[in-house]
Amino acid sequence: MSSHTIRVTVNGTEHEATVPARLTLADFLREHLDLTATHLGCEHGVCGACTVLLDGETARACITLVAQVDGAEIVTLEGIAADGEELHPVQQAFWDRHGMQCGFCTPGFILSTIELLREHPDPTREQIDEALGGHLCRCTGYVKIVEAVDQAAERLRAGSGR
Amino acid sequence: MKPAELGYAAPTSLDDAIGLLASRDAKILAGGQSLVPLLNLRLAAPELLVDLRSVPGLDGIRREGDDLVIGATVRQRRAERDATIREVAPLVAEALRHVGHPQIRSRGTIGGSIAHADPAAELPAVLVALDGSVRARGPGGEREIAAADFFQGFLMTALAEDEILVAITLPAAAPRTGAGCVEIAQRAGDYAACGAVAQVTLEGDRVADARVALIGAIDRPVRARTVEEALIGSAGTPQDIAAAAAHASDGLDPMPDPRVPAEYRLHLARVVARRAVEQATERAG
Amino acid sequence: MRRVFGAPLKRKEDPRLLRGGGQYVADIKLHRMVHAAVVRSPYPHAVIRGIDATECRADPRCVAVLTADDFDDLPELQCIDAEETTRPFLQPVLARGKVRYVGEPVAVVVAEDRYDAEDLMPLVRVDYEPLPAVVDPERALEPGAPIVHEGTNLVDTLHYATGDAAGALERAPHVLRERLQTQRHAGMPMETRGVIASWEDRTSAITLWSSTQVPNGVKRSLQAALGLPENGVRVIAPDLGGGFGVKLQIYPEEILICRLAQRIRRPTKWIEDRWEHFVAATHGREQFHDVEVGYEDDGRIVAIRDDCLTNTGAYLQSLTLVEPFIGVAMLTGPYRVDNFEATSRVAATNKTPMNPFRGVGHVQAAFTMERIVDLVAADLGLDPVEVRLRNMITSDQLPLDRVFGNVLAGTIVYDSGDYPECLRRAAELAGHAEFAAEQAKARAEGRYIGMGFGCFVEETGLGPYESGTVRIEPSGKVTVLTGACSSGQGHATTLAQIAADELGVGVDDVTVLHGDTELVRHGVGTYASRTAAVGGAAVRKAATKVRERAEFIAGQLLEVDPADLEVAEGGFAVAGSPAVSISHAEIAATVMPGSPLIDGVEEYGLEATDIFHPETNTFAYGVHVATVEVDIETGVVSHLRHVVVNDSGRVINPLILEGQVQGGVALGVGGALLEEILYDEDGQPRNPNFMDYVVPGIDNVSPEILVEHMEIPTPLNPDGIKGGGEGGAVGAPAAIANAVANAISPARITATPLFPARVHQAIVDAGLARMVAQEVT
Repeated sequence: MSSHTIRVTVNGTEHEATVPARLTLADFLREHLDLTATHLGCEHGVCGACTVLLDGETARACITLVAQVDGAEIVTLEGIAADGEELHPVQQAFWDRHGMQCGFCTPGFILSTIELLREHPDPTREQIDEALGGHLCRCTGYVKIVEAVDQAAERLRAGSGR
Repeated sequence: MKPAELGYAAPTSLDDAIGLLASRDAKILAGGQSLVPLLNLRLAAPELLVDLRSVPGLDGIRREGDDLVIGATVRQRRAERDATIREVAPLVAEALRHVGHPQIRSRGTIGGSIAHADPAAELPAVLVALDGSVRARGPGGEREIAAADFFQGFLMTALAEDEILVAITLPAAAPRTGAGCVEIAQRAGDYAACGAVAQVTLEGDRVADARVALIGAIDRPVRARTVEEALIGSAGTPQDIAAAAAHASDGLDPMPDPRVPAEYRLHLARVVARRAVEQATERAG
Repeated sequence: MRRVFGAPLKRKEDPRLLRGGGQYVADIKLHRMVHAAVVRSPYPHAVIRGIDATECRADPRCVAVLTADDFDDLPELQCIDAEETTRPFLQPVLARGKVRYVGEPVAVVVAEDRYDAEDLMPLVRVDYEPLPAVVDPERALEPGAPIVHEGTNLVDTLHYATGDAAGALERAPHVLRERLQTQRHAGMPMETRGVIASWEDRTSAITLWSSTQVPNGVKRSLQAALGLPENGVRVIAPDLGGGFGVKLQIYPEEILICRLAQRIRRPTKWIEDRWEHFVAATHGREQFHDVEVGYEDDGRIVAIRDDCLTNTGAYLQSLTLVEPFIGVAMLTGPYRVDNFEATSRVAATNKTPMNPFRGVGHVQAAFTMERIVDLVAADLGLDPVEVRLRNMITSDQLPLDRVFGNVLAGTIVYDSGDYPECLRRAAELAGHAEFAAEQAKARAEGRYIGMGFGCFVEETGLGPYESGTVRIEPSGKVTVLTGACSSGQGHATTLAQIAADELGVGVDDVTVLHGDTELVRHGVGTYASRTAAVGGAAVRKAATKVRERAEFIAGQLLEVDPADLEVAEGGFAVAGSPAVSISHAEIAATVMPGSPLIDGVEEYGLEATDIFHPETNTFAYGVHVATVEVDIETGVVSHLRHVVVNDSGRVINPLILEGQVQGGVALGVGGALLEEILYDEDGQPRNPNFMDYVVPGIDNVSPEILVEHMEIPTPLNPDGIKGGGEGGAVGAPAAIANAVANAISPARITATPLFPARVHQAIVDAGLARMVAQEVT
């Protein structure tokens, strides 16, 4: 069995581990680090439930081998608001606007929304569709997700969040 | 859906990478956005993955004379935003907007998309449209493979088993050049039932150059030369474009698909060719 | 004092989930846990000549292998709604002798992790002898077709009739004949199925964590399958990433993993992957209706004869007959059709088994009937809204006994509502009156837009019962237990609102617990839009009992007549004298064990349970209006606007109900335009992945889905709730299909999904393409 030693920073904490070469980043996070908010919905890169921030950009953890990202900085949903911390305006907006139901797709949506609003603080509908088009939600019908994005954008612009 | 047992290497030189590729049942890993899903589904099970991430010199974007050279490991998201690409390769910039989703483009590479040769992919069609070429390096040295010879069938290219795609080359666009990309897909970022990339260069009030290639029409990207010939020298009016695009389906033999009957795909080819050329013509002016 | 009932409160569930604290079954880890993978049939139909697991067992990574030979008495899935006439084509939990669909479980292998388990799967050598397969339901019923089980592929024939359809059709001035077809697709939750089973020697009990909508049902089935007593099985449903009906029955894997855990004596986990989900989780909807419709010059429909065929796949599942039954029995929806005759046949083929999912049967019924109405209107040159109004059952005709019934649901009696008013309001909100002008203007610009209606009536609030327990704790906080099981519907909030409403406490002071058969001894689960209506009723009634008991005690303590008390914040106060009050905590303290009971009080604790058995089910209804644009050249349909006027009776939380309806509409977009599970002629699944099976994304669903609630209460439960989890999915495909037909009229639309190729063909067949080409040149 081929194994590799990798070093990654996850949610600000450095980790070193020896892992099989075939281990996906998603499974590394979920099984080795017990960070289970990165969900597996399809394992072929379509549903977006496994989305993480990889060196600052959204990427699909299910179709990334952890060996490929040796040295990288990864942020998962658990890194957005630690226990006891105030919710990020995007998280708050998803709560306020009922932008989630079962919650399974939500981590991916939140991370992609955070990335979107960083680049486009006042996003058009086209920009929202572009940023979130790679995420499937079976519960909400997307309407309230977009409302949440709009609210988060407004709050961030008003400076009432981080 | 977990990959089969495999080895992984991240060589630090191109020669080492080539050596590893030749030594056993190995596949090159760039962004992994096409390969890792296949590994997960166990549709691919190489003994060794050769990751290009640490090989220097493969991630450049630079002009070489009249050409633009894009290194194999350039990430699609970076390419999308690159000022040089936007300026001299507008068709690449335009096509990249249609590639998957941002989360795929953050990892997917230019070289990876070309080497994977999915007929429904945008970048292979761009390379074919622009008469670009692939720079490949193997144990015997480096060679340039013309785009017209590179794509040989469904997921099949002219790359030898021990060759690595190191860069693509395309001609820099002339002034007054516009690019268009139109895809008919049920969901943005989905596999297109058919699509077209088009580039139009105007001189005076005439079309001086036209490049059109089809995405997803057959088992490889295909140049619509008859369309191009009808456009070149014309005034590029909507009627000219419609008349030219009617030839887009000439001689095509589409791959069978339960959702997309052949007649319909051929019809779409004519529609997307027209729309892509209209886009390109408008942007060229 | 009714305050929180009806309030659009934010959900209590969300903060934990938003922070990444969700606990779905795949997230749970137990000490010494092992991982299973299921070996599945690659053939749609084959004899199993032998299974040799020697090589697998010999591999050092193999912890265990399970095949049918490991069972003396191989359990079978039961079909709850089987009639006497239903052929017993039951599914064994592992294939024995024969496999009948691609994906059927054949063996289970166990290793230390899933990667290794998948490596071991090919080491189970199964010797298959392939047989010819049949996938088309009409072909399956022809002589000479491959027989999936024995004797026949005809699983059952249901027949319903009222009036004299044959005679009325003969006399009718107009008759239309059409085949209306709905395709096979599936609920497709984002979380696949999954289980962990753990056997504990100390208690001789198995605990099963399962992504299931029916923990109590699974428990009962496990008891039977494993021969265990009630206290030998505990089922826990953790957080669910969606269910939509796919998770409403026991599955073979649940039984198999329990069996393995008992044997191995280590917790055993199986998480379904997406490919497996496509082939082994149940599908739905594949049904067509051959209808003959007789109608008058004014559009009144006088007779319908319906010959319906459902392709149910290879085996009976828990509720196999519901789709064929509802598809015909609810066909006429909100309309009065006095002469009706339907034959509903159920065919077995070598496809994955079907079982109800969101909207079951009603979706096909609404699509079929609503297309019929539009075809009638088009033929007569009448306004489709007007034709609907002429046929609709009016509110003074309710309650209305529809005469039909079935084993499970009893007789259909429409209980309450106002269908014409719902339609009028929906038409008004959608701008129907102004649309013709908008459409003409668009056509002049070369754009093809259309508006379509989808009216439906839906059986909701199904029995047989649901349990609710309400307990006022010594702290004054309230605990609610429910047999309902959430898969994203917000029960922890909505049921808390009912209890809070009854007891005068804050919603934050109420905790709803569900999904654990150790806590909830009796329950049915969540499906069929039943939780608010039936589960809510049980909570309301239990809360009422507790309130009355607490009120009595309060009266004793305050020395007033309980009738003089009213619910106040966190307790009771004398009506008119709010200073004379007592809190729940103070009341609860008096009935704590360890102190003597006061006069008139005979028991300790402040708790009550109600197991609500609804007399019969209720009928929610609604009207959808969809606006679409069709790209006339490519056939691609864009969903522009959507309006729903929905009557689910009284609404506990309008925000949550709106979310349910909008989500249902999106599911309906998938059914109308995008989704189809495809098989080739040989029975091989063609698109078992998300690249080739297209689930709606953000750009597929209308950016506006306007939902208006019409709240006409049902008399069938204390709060007058009808249920709203499915209505969005029921009416949307009908409305969207009708909108497409309207956009490209006179093109013929008779089947979903409306893939671009299909729409394009309809455009070409109608000669519209030529007309368009003429316009351009």
